[in-house]
Amino acid sequence: MMEFVSLLDVTFFLLAGFGALVGIIFGAIPGMTATMAVAVCLPLTYALGLNNGLALLLGLYVGGISGGMVPAVLLNIPGTPSSITTTFDGYPMAQKGEGEKALRVCVVASVIGGLISAAVLFLFAPMLADFSIKFSYVEKFLIILLALSVIASLSSNMLVGIFSGVIGIWLSLVGVYSISDGGNGKTRLMADFMEPYLYEGFSLLPVLIGIFGISTILLEAEKGVKSELTSDRLKLGKGGVFAFSIFKGRFTNLVRSSFIGTFVGMLPGVGGSAASVLAYTQEKNLSRDSSEMGKGAPQGLMASESANNALTGGALIPLLSLGIPGDSTTAVLIGAFTLQGIQVGPLFIPENANTWYIMMTALVFANIVMFFLMFFAIKHIAKVVMVPKHILYPLITMMCVVGAYAINYGIMFDVWTLLIFGVLGYLIQKIGLEVAPLIIGFILGGQAEIYFVKSLESFGTLSIFFTKSPIAVVLWLLILASVVFSIVMSLKSRAKGRQDVLS
Amino acid sequence: MESGLSSLLSVSIDFETSHLVFPTIIHWILAVLFAIILVTKVIPFLAAVKRGERTLPIVGESMDGFRFFGTLALIIAYFYLMAVVGNMFPYTGYGFLFVSMPFVFLMALMYLHEWTKKAVVIVLINAIIAPSLVWFVLAKLFRITLP
Repeated sequence: MMEFVSLLDVTFFLLAGFGALVGIIFGAIPGMTATMAVAVCLPLTYALGLNNGLALLLGLYVGGISGGMVPAVLLNIPGTPSSITTTFDGYPMAQKGEGEKALRVCVVASVIGGLISAAVLFLFAPMLADFSIKFSYVEKFLIILLALSVIASLSSNMLVGIFSGVIGIWLSLVGVYSISDGGNGKTRLMADFMEPYLYEGFSLLPVLIGIFGISTILLEAEKGVKSELTSDRLKLGKGGVFAFSIFKGRFTNLVRSSFIGTFVGMLPGVGGSAASVLAYTQEKNLSRDSSEMGKGAPQGLMASESANNALTGGALIPLLSLGIPGDSTTAVLIGAFTLQGIQVGPLFIPENANTWYIMMTALVFANIVMFFLMFFAIKHIAKVVMVPKHILYPLITMMCVVGAYAINYGIMFDVWTLLIFGVLGYLIQKIGLEVAPLIIGFILGGQAEIYFVKSLESFGTLSIFFTKSPIAVVLWLLILASVVFSIVMSLKSRAKGRQDVLS
Repeated sequence: MESGLSSLLSVSIDFETSHLVFPTIIHWILAVLFAIILVTKVIPFLAAVKRGERTLPIVGESMDGFRFFGTLALIIAYFYLMAVVGNMFPYTGYGFLFVSMPFVFLMALMYLHEWTKKAVVIVLINAIIAPSLVWFVLAKLFRITLP
């Protein structure tokens, strides 16, 4: 087990640290997310080996999720969607002149959340992989169905969520039904003239980069790329000295929030703000001294940021053990892993023990680097919030192009895919469809088809999906539960809305 | 009864057309979902638009048309010209390098709200240095294929 240590070198740690730094910068700039950080830095990993590439990617992931706290505290703008609850207490503290103290509380909470979730990942992912290794096509298909129903049920509207997910599946089916996967090698869903370009379908990474990179820029361009931020709004403040004693008696809060974050991260396609909002409301409901929350209480920051960073480990669990991405950033990671020749799924951990330990090392190290960088250099990092967008956006577009073009060693159609999906991503967000289910549907659609058709080809009856094994029945129950959950939630919020109107 | 149910559920897939089985199912699901959404969401929404309570997305919203369509036009020109110039100098990445510079410059100018001398100079320097740096690191050091 310890032989993997010999595979680590200085470059590995430097890259993990570099990744964390770049990630923090991306996360700290409002409108840039961890997903974008990974997407933009992808070309760098093409040239790196497997281990170093993983170090960079995981560093970017951890840094990107953490960086969101900076504008949340200082400007009342969540840098990433998941730091929305950090603004509730962070900004009031910054206004009282305690910005630096608030950020340091966030940093400590973040590293605790990150490390706890890494521990859960380390213990739980191999178990889940071990369990799922016996799955046949039937169970694999049901797992994907479960993943999609969970995403849909957590969307703001279940119907729209499912619809978006099915559109994603549809897009993934364009192209050939590959012989290497047991198909008959015929193309579908396209006209003949498209065949030279789309024979293999749309490539995953250009699609992701387009949807997360180009469409963000289009959405901003439409709003006129305003940068109303002026540097006098950015005040770190010297008031309120930070001391670790502030965490005294907050242990339960930190651990609870970390576990909430890890668990929510595991649910496919949720990610984002759900974890921190849930942790924040739990702290508010369960803590005895929650009256100050929302006015500048450090405990709110702790709940929000530890849950937020715990997403990282959580989202990697289904990714590594089942091949199902937990959020949009891990969706890009799955593409990057494939590029490095890693096929994530039940066999990944048992067959690549060294790679698995290296990933864990990178993840833990990235968390530690993130902690030291942000704890001691927060004053300097805070300044990147002010980088003007008119400088950034052209550069991001440029990096998106590099990423898309180089993925398949120079195919211009992949660059046009960027634009197609950039515009598509813009349109779907405009008409109110959901991006996350669509992406997960796109990633899992191809596999869902193979598992579904193969199950039917070998068993010849639809009833096999219910009778194959006890696990299949359990999966159906879980699917049912997620649908019922969603219906109950929507009825509840509708009833609440009616009450608000009446009162 | 039992046999009736199992014959109802049994399916045989012809290998020749197996590439169409799943897409057909997806089409049906899409159609049904679309119909439901049309009835429960779109029609009430359009009715609200007619009453003037809501506005249509994209067409009914105020937008910065110049920057939005400018961005689209610039990106299309960028992608197109990159391939054209790249074909003149194959395997060098010059297409990327020489087309990125004006693209970064023009896009930054378009997004810049106040054209002060200092801001334009920064934009210009950025447009020259950033693509060169990216080109040098990726194409020269890492030997990554660029247009």
